[in-house]
Amino acid sequence: MALNNLVVTPPPHLRSKEQTAVAMRDVLIALAPVSIAALVAFTYNALFNMAICVASCVFFEWAAKKIKEQKSSITDGSAVVTGLLLALLFPAKIQWFNMIIASFVAIVIVKELMGGIGRNFFNPALFGFAFVLIASGWLASWTGSMGFLSGGFDGVQGATPLVWIKAGLESQGPSYLSLLFANYGGAISEVGAFWILLGGAYLIYRKVISWVIPVTILATVFVLAYIVGSDGLYNILAGGVMLGAFFMATDWVSSPMTVSGQIIFGLIIGVCVVLIRVYGAPAGAVAYSILIGNCFVPLLDKVLKTRRFGEVAAA
Amino acid sequence: MAEIKTFKGGIHPSYNKELSSGKSIKDAPVPWEVIIPLQQHIGAPCEPLVKAGDRVEAGQRIGEAEAFVSAPIHSSVSGTVKEVAEVTNFTGARVNSVIITADEGQPDFAKKTGKDLESLTDKEIREIAKQAGLVGMGGAAFPTHVKITPPKDKPVDTVIINGVECEPFLTCDHRLMLERTDDLIAGAKLLKKAVSASRVIIGIEANKMDAIDALRSKLSSEPDMSVEVMEVKYPEGAEKMLIFALTGRKVPPGKLPSEVGCLVQNVGTAIALFEAAAWGKPLYERIVTVTGPGVREPSNLAVRIGTPISALVDACGGFVGNPVKLIIGGPMTGWAQADASASVVKGTSGIVVMTSDTVDIGEEMECVRCGKCIDACPMFLSPNFIVQAAKRGQWDKAEMWGALDCFECGCCSFECPAYIPHVEYVRKAKAEIAALKKK
Repeated sequence: MALNNLVVTPPPHLRSKEQTAVAMRDVLIALAPVSIAALVAFTYNALFNMAICVASCVFFEWAAKKIKEQKSSITDGSAVVTGLLLALLFPAKIQWFNMIIASFVAIVIVKELMGGIGRNFFNPALFGFAFVLIASGWLASWTGSMGFLSGGFDGVQGATPLVWIKAGLESQGPSYLSLLFANYGGAISEVGAFWILLGGAYLIYRKVISWVIPVTILATVFVLAYIVGSDGLYNILAGGVMLGAFFMATDWVSSPMTVSGQIIFGLIIGVCVVLIRVYGAPAGAVAYSILIGNCFVPLLDKVLKTRRFGEVAAA
Repeated sequence: MAEIKTFKGGIHPSYNKELSSGKSIKDAPVPWEVIIPLQQHIGAPCEPLVKAGDRVEAGQRIGEAEAFVSAPIHSSVSGTVKEVAEVTNFTGARVNSVIITADEGQPDFAKKTGKDLESLTDKEIREIAKQAGLVGMGGAAFPTHVKITPPKDKPVDTVIINGVECEPFLTCDHRLMLERTDDLIAGAKLLKKAVSASRVIIGIEANKMDAIDALRSKLSSEPDMSVEVMEVKYPEGAEKMLIFALTGRKVPPGKLPSEVGCLVQNVGTAIALFEAAAWGKPLYERIVTVTGPGVREPSNLAVRIGTPISALVDACGGFVGNPVKLIIGGPMTGWAQADASASVVKGTSGIVVMTSDTVDIGEEMECVRCGKCIDACPMFLSPNFIVQAAKRGQWDKAEMWGALDCFECGCCSFECPAYIPHVEYVRKAKAEIAALKKK
């Protein structure tokens, strides 16, 4: 038999089923429960968010690669994931222009200008969201006449569950049970912590993420909230903590790689979430906290490198 | 029963050993021509002792070197030397080789009998190993007589027989443990005596319980020898992992097993030492597992050194399907071949043929910093940072991240979602670091 097809590559010649694109597909599967819950709750408004964000993220990535004259990376699925995460961060009825700007910042500035996938220090979706959140004042005035749907952009518009934390009146907010399964308020992903937990469990089961970062964040928020006199359980069920802990802070690129680094990363984020929520402005607390955590990652990776096998501890 | 021994890190590939684990060892046909490289080991290459036209007998010495770290080469067939020439070996290097045309009929090896193994001294055992050209048969091919001459200030108390065989697909050591149990024990005793150790531990993965039972039943009256069950995990059989799993001792970076009082020898090497001592047989034959989805009848064959791999695949019914990878060695650390012309050497444990539907060859992509390589690394290195440093030519940083401690098991690349060939970068880094240190 002819051996014309032999391929010579360095070892190993076996590999796991792991691929970046497979992992991204798993993230999309894991986001399905919360996305469906959002669609049920906000119907076409949620669909509108998702369509705008996913389409603009994919478009901007395609365009950026085109301008940089690089091979398209659309098929790795990361732009779709960024788009969907971004859509889930926004409230319903937000002006469409805000979402396009957030997508532009996420993909073009945070990701592609940093060198593309693998090089971005910050979580693209969160950075894009935080940018719009901070800049929404002038954006709203600037785009007022272009509003597609009614309503401006305001993370705390209406009574989101977070206002009760700031006010120290968690007992008057929604019940734990409704926070877990169906409480509407804030971002379209805030439709029940359970749906996010379900997706997070799937990601851990599929070994896309490890439990270390989400568990550290949730535990830190839970304990510290009680210490500062807030309600720990309420704090981890309300707002974006659950989505942040399982889907944002675990982003491969912008999180530490060693277990010890991941624990400290989770602690930093958890502490920031509680402090910002209780003493600062609750809207975007999780986004800011994770972005702050992202800043520490290069340092954590360098300082907390694993000790080589057989290496004696430095005295 | 004692607990299952293991180490931290590592991976769980599909083992696929059932393809050949039930196949008894049979003799491969003697090829009409053998190509015997004069360097099959780590150390100095041998000088040829024969020239074109010379008549040679199987077992006759045809190459040797003055250097201590080297191993003599013997003819694997009776026949006539066709020529001594440079031939491309399985790694792609050009190596001086003796090409021998084999006689029509090959007589069986005339075993010497009646040798009293008990009376051999440690010095005699080392000399036997050297004269027989013994090298580590697990793959690294380090000369055995050097390994069993530990430094005076580093006494060895434990001999570990490596029966782990953690490379997927390979079953030659498994078959040897089953079919040559007594010879293995005798070989292990010789090793123990050679280094004046007080005990022998045989480590075997839990997927070979028949071999574990066979050895245990024969060792019930041997208080100094034990068999330990090890977790089925790659690379359980790597020297440092094996020593740690069995004794709890950690060989420090850059050091040899003798640093922690251990000697590790592969099952095949122990049996070859027995054959050399008891029968006077030099190392010119070994067991090779020929397997994989691209081979019609996977088998374990007793093969003359120098046999071309094409002849072995033919002996196993030929190729089947669409072969895209022809690997010499195991699939995790072996060498992919461009054709089937390379020949079997002392360290060749297997020939694995992968087909287009069973092998995943992807293009290298950007690192996404998932950290899976760090989790998998049994040496607790950071393969991604070694790669990053190597890509930038920062060799000092590559060393800082542990490039020199890497033994190239390939766990990192196995897990990598971005198809990064870490081992290739590490090899490059090692060569560059070595070159810098020479200056």
